[in-house]
Amino acid sequence: MSAIRGSSGPVRTAALVVLGLIWLAPVYLLIVNAAKPVDQYDAAAVWKPTGAFSLFGNFADAWDKAALGSTLVATTLYSVVAPVLAVLIGAAAGYAIVALRLKHGFAWFVFIFGGTIFPLQMVLMPLFTGYADSGLYDTRTGMIIVYTAISVPFSAFVMRNFFTGIARSVFEAAVVDGGSLFRIFRSIYLPMAGSALAAIFILQATFVWNDLLLGLTLSQSDSVRPIMPALTGLQSTYGGAALPTVLAGGLLVSLPTVVLFLAAQRFFSRGLALGQL
Amino acid sequence: MVALLLYLPFLWTTYISFTDYNGLGTPVWSGLTNYKAMFSDPDLVGALTNTLLWVIGMVTLPVALGLLIAVLTYGHRWGTWLRLPFLLPYAISGVAVGVIWGFVLQPDGALGQALGFFGLPGAHTGWLQDGPTNTLMMVVATTWQAGGVNALLFVIGLQSIPAEPLEAARLDGAEGWKLFLHQLWPQLRPITTVVVGLSIVGSLKTFDVVWVMTQGGPGTSSETLALSMYKETFVLNDYGQGAAIALFLSLVTFAASVLYLRYQLADSTSR
Repeated sequence: MSAIRGSSGPVRTAALVVLGLIWLAPVYLLIVNAAKPVDQYDAAAVWKPTGAFSLFGNFADAWDKAALGSTLVATTLYSVVAPVLAVLIGAAAGYAIVALRLKHGFAWFVFIFGGTIFPLQMVLMPLFTGYADSGLYDTRTGMIIVYTAISVPFSAFVMRNFFTGIARSVFEAAVVDGGSLFRIFRSIYLPMAGSALAAIFILQATFVWNDLLLGLTLSQSDSVRPIMPALTGLQSTYGGAALPTVLAGGLLVSLPTVVLFLAAQRFFSRGLALGQL
Repeated sequence: MVALLLYLPFLWTTYISFTDYNGLGTPVWSGLTNYKAMFSDPDLVGALTNTLLWVIGMVTLPVALGLLIAVLTYGHRWGTWLRLPFLLPYAISGVAVGVIWGFVLQPDGALGQALGFFGLPGAHTGWLQDGPTNTLMMVVATTWQAGGVNALLFVIGLQSIPAEPLEAARLDGAEGWKLFLHQLWPQLRPITTVVVGLSIVGSLKTFDVVWVMTQGGPGTSSETLALSMYKETFVLNDYGQGAAIALFLSLVTFAASVLYLRYQLADSTSR
């Protein structure tokens, strides 16, 4: 590998460090200005920190003003429940296609996967009218259903890829041993898929947490509306007057995914490799 | 459930796109009117042009940057750590990216002040005031977010390249740029196809960053098709027009994805 696994020379390192610093500059600006007291914020001196530190005060303001507090509960619920459901349904679908050699398995797979490549815009309007008619509009149940349905295809896709990699003989041996189809799934296939399941869960939880469009379309009240639409609300209401508050809100909503990402970098890269994304 | 939530609405949207419908009452058949408007209404033509700009921007900037970072960090002693600053924005939502960059790009804001400090021109540019500058700056903002994950994908691509041919080429005297161009680049083609395919699909759906930073404005100067669809449907109550945009967007995305999916499947069957 030494041909590409080349130098760690000073030029290369310097280039990377400079680029890296440029990349971190917006993060620096975000943190420094989110920590400024609103009355000390000076639009002409955004690069300079002020001595005062009121990050947590600004967090509290964002929490109250944008009602980020109540939306946080709802968003956490969506980001945990929907991916869990999607991972389980996806795993079952992947198992059914691969292990059971479902008739027209490939067609099913294309059918399910087809759902993922189209822009959300294609289903947005009927979802809105359908939700309005059925009373699911602006309910937590409605949000969980839509997030789960959106997440299933990707999950089924990765799980099918994963289960394809498990030797057929494993399945046949289990059948000979008298295991029921469900038991084979639960006690052999699922445990083997631990890391894949975790990777999908993390990716989907991030997706749900970061969603704007569905939340914007299918909810309106503070207790149902997910956090990203709530943040855009904060921005348009307090944009000019209290920029540090808005930035603090931006930082606050980013913390969970950033922490998750750093903690699970390994899963992220492995998950990406699995999904061949 | 997938069928119910994804495919039935799909057909409904297709039907609505050929009608005049305001969300209440009954849809009235209007043939291709909505589709004609997409190519004649100046606002929608603008959105079409902006979307094209997004696609071009997203298959060049983040892809080139991702490749650069991947090649620079691959095999570097501290590669994983040096890659981290570029990956970090990927964990941030489009909305938060919009909030951060909307702040950076304020008139005489952070970018302006930095340019002024270094004596560079453009310190007083209104980055988000006019098209197509506002679209280009939002492409930059998205590059900031997406570049790192492309780098990660390219690293995975680099890892799969066998070492022997490279060693041979190197013994033959190939170095640096030449080695990259004739040895690495051709072998990175499969992963490049994936990265470019994803960039195309992603850029066609561009919504979040634009919604937060400019809401498509000023006027409609930075609207993308994905945003026009939302506006037409839920702000202007022109459901038919929104549906037509959605279907058009889907067809383009589908055409673009076929390329991507073909590589994807070819790859998974060869394993």
